Amino acid sequence: MQKGEMYVGWSTKEDVRKRGGSGGLVTSMLAAALEKKMVDAVVVLKKINEFEAVPVITSDVNEVLNSAGSLHSVPSNFAKLIANKNLKVALPAKGCDVRGIIEQSKRNAINLDNTFVVGLNCGGSMHPVVTREMLEVMYKIKPEDVHGEEIEKGKLIFETKDGKEHAITIDELEEKGYGRRESCRYCTIKIPNNADIACGNWGVTGDLVGKATFVEINSEKGARLLQNAIDAGYVQVQKPDEKGVAIRAKIKGTMEGLGKKWKDKVFVPMDNGRLEYFRKELEHCIDCGACKAVCPTCSCGDISKCTEFHYRGDAYKMSMYHLVRFLHLADSCIGCGQCSDVCPVDIPLTRLYRRFANTVQEQLKYEPGMDQRKPPYFEAKLEV
Amino acid sequence: MNDSISDGISAEAAAAPKTDGWEPKIVAFCCNWCSYGGADSAGMGRFQQPASARIIRVMCSGRIDPLHVFNAFLEGADAVLVTGCHIGDCHYVNGNDKTKIKYKYLENVAHELGIEKERLQLNWISASEGEKFANFIRDVTEQIKKLGPSPLKPAGVV
Repeated sequence: MQKGEMYVGWSTKEDVRKRGGSGGLVTSMLAAALEKKMVDAVVVLKKINEFEAVPVITSDVNEVLNSAGSLHSVPSNFAKLIANKNLKVALPAKGCDVRGIIEQSKRNAINLDNTFVVGLNCGGSMHPVVTREMLEVMYKIKPEDVHGEEIEKGKLIFETKDGKEHAITIDELEEKGYGRRESCRYCTIKIPNNADIACGNWGVTGDLVGKATFVEINSEKGARLLQNAIDAGYVQVQKPDEKGVAIRAKIKGTMEGLGKKWKDKVFVPMDNGRLEYFRKELEHCIDCGACKAVCPTCSCGDISKCTEFHYRGDAYKMSMYHLVRFLHLADSCIGCGQCSDVCPVDIPLTRLYRRFANTVQEQLKYEPGMDQRKPPYFEAKLEV
Repeated sequence: MNDSISDGISAEAAAAPKTDGWEPKIVAFCCNWCSYGGADSAGMGRFQQPASARIIRVMCSGRIDPLHVFNAFLEGADAVLVTGCHIGDCHYVNGNDKTKIKYKYLENVAHELGIEKERLQLNWISASEGEKFANFIRDVTEQIKKLGPSPLKPAGVV
């Protein structure tokens, strides 16, 4: 097994296969890595209910196996969770998780040699509060009755406890302001090729639809992870058919195209009144610092430039905290949307940060979190 | 009695700034080895320049953090100038190369934020270029006089 190869695989454990989103391959792979002592711990989401889950670092194989199944309304980010812990860990990660992990490794908070990143194809996640509201308003069902959820062919499907399926297209939901989080709509990383291994259901064809996972190996570590799971008897793989590979590429292209379209829609260029716009948006900030605490690319710690040079008593027209963060994130924002999610006064922070990041990153041709390249600032050399 | 006094002050402060006779405040960051020397030789060569610049000496232009620039704006500067040695002449080998890259970020962020490009300028001035320094300050002062006070200026600061 080596870099660049593609497979279609599924779990050999009946129970995991049934509960898992598509064949339970990811769950089994993580469990096998833990069982065979490849890693000391695995990060999984511990489910509270259909809309909430907390990420936990566990060394219990059964807990890993029990976590099978996908949740679309838990917009967590694992990068900060494993940072500065010096763990030998394997974890599932969406595109933005992977980018966060790579950014943390550039800041020496994560050792990538000890981290096995299982990338998951991601078309977007939803905010739990918005999802509950959406269920009541759009689907006319009680959030408590929901038993399962699924995204298929552009439709978001909720299954209630009485076995009925309720489907509405995502486009329709997003027109009404529900559906995916805003940052997911304009995200263009749908298949995480920057992770060690990229898994997802796109490209699975024929009888296997819904029962298997399409895997692409992106690094030597990823190959080791999958080989270990096969040797341990946790998963079975086969070569994908050409049709599947083509379908996967096509879905990727379409999704990325949609993402770009959303980007143009959200970031309308503003000629005048930009300063006033930013001032208005940041007016309600209560200095809680939650956006910094969750930011997967920030690793300054408690004492940092943004907090130490900010003093409310200055009564500046714009807070120094946000100005410093605008600057820092201009080169490192990965657009994960965590800051908007946690803001207690609902400032659309990701949208503000991205305004700066889009222009700067485009101009300097630097995309954070995609590879090991350091920001251009570190490349300063003597020009003779 | 007290009320009428404070009312009078606040009314004056709230009134639109007078553009006639108004002198902009310009914060100029100068590196110790080149542009600060440039400012010095501007004085020695008796090149006329407006009294609008407030010079802050730093050891190297690479020391200038974008944060200093924003703090200057928030404290009431109408324009901020970043100056240093010519590329290749840095006393610390490549300090100004770093400034150049940092300035790119800063320029983009400041522009996206809505600060006019005249308010933030970069220039390389050597210790012997006294005339260039004086001309630079004069040009910037003219440009800023046309633009008026900075929108980030705190209330009550002239």
